[in-house]
Amino acid sequence: MFSTGTSSSQEAGGATGELLLPKTFVWPYGGSRVMVTGTFTRWSDHVQMSPVEGCPTLFQATCRLTPGMHQYKFYVDGEWRHDEQQPSVPGSYGIVNTVFVTREPDSLTAILSPGTPGSKHMDIDPDTFQQVCGSLQETRLGLLETDIEASRHCITDFLSSNAVHDLLPDSGKVIALDVNLPVKQAFHILYEQGTPVAPLWDSFRGRFVGVLSPLDFILILRELGSHGSNLTEEELETHTIAAWKTAKHQNIRQMHLLSKPCQRSLVYAGPFDSLKDVALKILQNDVSTIPIIHPSSHDGSFPQLLHLASLAGILKCICRYFRHSSGVMPILQQPICSLPIGTWVPKIGEPNRRPLVMLRPNVSLSSALSLLVQAQVSSLPVVNENDSLLDVYSRSDITALAKDNIYAHIHLDEMSVYHALQLGQDTAMPNGIIGQRCQMCLGTDPLQKVMERLTIPGVRRVFIVEAGSKRVEGIISLSNVFKFLLSLR
Amino acid sequence: MQDGGTCVMGFEIPRSPESSYDNPIPANEDEAQDPPLAPPHLQHTLLSYPASQDGSSSLPSPQNVTLNHLYIENRESPRSVVALGVTHRFRSKFVTVVLYKPVQRR
Repeated sequence: MFSTGTSSSQEAGGATGELLLPKTFVWPYGGSRVMVTGTFTRWSDHVQMSPVEGCPTLFQATCRLTPGMHQYKFYVDGEWRHDEQQPSVPGSYGIVNTVFVTREPDSLTAILSPGTPGSKHMDIDPDTFQQVCGSLQETRLGLLETDIEASRHCITDFLSSNAVHDLLPDSGKVIALDVNLPVKQAFHILYEQGTPVAPLWDSFRGRFVGVLSPLDFILILRELGSHGSNLTEEELETHTIAAWKTAKHQNIRQMHLLSKPCQRSLVYAGPFDSLKDVALKILQNDVSTIPIIHPSSHDGSFPQLLHLASLAGILKCICRYFRHSSGVMPILQQPICSLPIGTWVPKIGEPNRRPLVMLRPNVSLSSALSLLVQAQVSSLPVVNENDSLLDVYSRSDITALAKDNIYAHIHLDEMSVYHALQLGQDTAMPNGIIGQRCQMCLGTDPLQKVMERLTIPGVRRVFIVEAGSKRVEGIISLSNVFKFLLSLR
Repeated sequence: MQDGGTCVMGFEIPRSPESSYDNPIPANEDEAQDPPLAPPHLQHTLLSYPASQDGSSSLPSPQNVTLNHLYIENRESPRSVVALGVTHRFRSKFVTVVLYKPVQRR
C-alpha cells in the first residue's frame, strides 16, 4: 500500500506518511565538486555535498531515507568513488557503500534535524559538525569493536573444530633425546640437527618426561660461567640432562629465578585435541612448543611421538584458511597500529608504560642472556645508537655456540652479541633461514601481513618500525596475536 | 570340518618324510658365505633429512619398504651417542622419529 523507497522523491514518501529518517553522508577525502547518490535517489539524482567551514576536505550532505538497507556512492570531480572506511559491498555499479537505517532516529541524526521538513540540504555549523565527527569516530570504533568480536568468534570456531592432526605434515620428522644423555652431547646434537627444542625420553619409565629447550642451555652456560658449579671436569662431561633438570628445579625453588613455578611434569597434547586446546596449553604454560604424543595403548605405554606443535604452526593453518576470506575476518585488513595488540614504545605523554627492552650490539653475551631470562621473552631486538633495528637475538641462537666448541673456549662476558650473531650467520644452516629471522613491518601494515610474517620458521616476533629510520616502535609476538584472537589477558 | 584346516576328509596334508628331520650340525661352509643381501630399497630412508625448524614443511613420502623398520646410525665405534630411527604411519601421515641414546660404557 505505501511505497517503500521507490517514489521519485523523498518528500512524496513523507507526504504519504512513510517514515523518513535523516542520514548524513560524509566525504572526508577532499575534492572540489562532491555529490552523493544511491538507492534512495534511485541512482539518478545526485545530491550535492557542501564543504564544511574550516575543514575544506570534509563534505557533508543530509538526506532523508526510508528505514532499511541502502547503497550509495560518491561522485567526486567526475570520478565515482566509494568510502573505503565504511562498510561496502561489490554491486552492479562497482563497489558501493552500504548503510542500514534503523527505525528509531539515532542521536546522531537527531542533532542534525532542526525540524524543517522538505529541505534536501542542511547546512550546519562547524561545532555541531565536530560533535558529529566525534560520534562518527565512535561509531567507527564501535564498528571496529564489532569487527574484532566477529573475527574472534570466527577464529575460535575454526580452532575448536580442527584437530592437531591437521598440523602434522604429510611426512614429518621429530628428534628426541634420551634423558640420560650428557648435556654437552645434547647441545651438539640439537645444533647439528638445526632444531632448538627436543622432547626427552626416559627409557626406564618408558615415557616422555620433559623437553629440552634453549632456556636450559642458557641457564647451564651461565652456571658454568659463574664458576659456581662444583662439578669437576669429568663430571661435566657426563652431566646428564636428568641431573640438570633435577638441579634446575631445586635451584629455581631456592632462588626464585623465574617468577612462575616451572613445570615438573611434561606438558603435552594428543593428536585429536582441538587446535584451540593446544594453543591455550601453549599460552598458559608459557612455552614455545609442546610435543604431540599418541598413547598407542590404553594404559599409556608405548607412547608415540608424532610432532612438536607450536603457535607458528597453528597460525599457519589460520592464515591458509582465511587468506582469501577477509570478508569473514574483517580485522585481517586493519592496520596493526589500530588494534590493541603487542607491546609498543611508550609515546610522549604515557609515562606509565615500561620502555621496550632492547640490546646494543656491543653488549656482552652474558648480559644479553640475563636480560632474556629475566624479561621472560624469547628474543630481543638489537639496535644501534639511534634505536634503529639491526638484528634480533633469540634464545635459540644459543646453539650456535656449539660450533667448534666455542662455548668451551670463551667466556660469555668476553663475547658480544654482535659476535654471537655473526657465528650464527657463518654456520651453513641446513634450511638457510638465517637472513629471514629479523622481520620488520610498518605500523600501517594490515594484521594479515604481520600474521604471515610470524609463520616464517624461526620468527617469533615481528618488529614494527618507523619507515626509513627503522626505529623500533613496537613488537608483536606470536603469543600477543593468539591472546588477542582468543581474548585472553 | 574342523577349524585349523587340518582334518578335511580327502584333503589331509601328507606328513613330512622322517628322513627330512636329521638336524645336521651346520658346517663351516655355510658360515663362509655372505648372508643374503638386504633389499636395496631399504637404504632409501628419510633419516638423513634435517628436521625442519617449524615442523610444518614436509619431507618426501617415505618408501613403503622402510616403514616400521628400526635403523641404527653407522658411526665409528668409539662413540658415546647412538641414533635410532624409525618411520611409521599415523592415520594418513608419516612420522620419522630419531632418538639419540647414550652408549653404555663398560
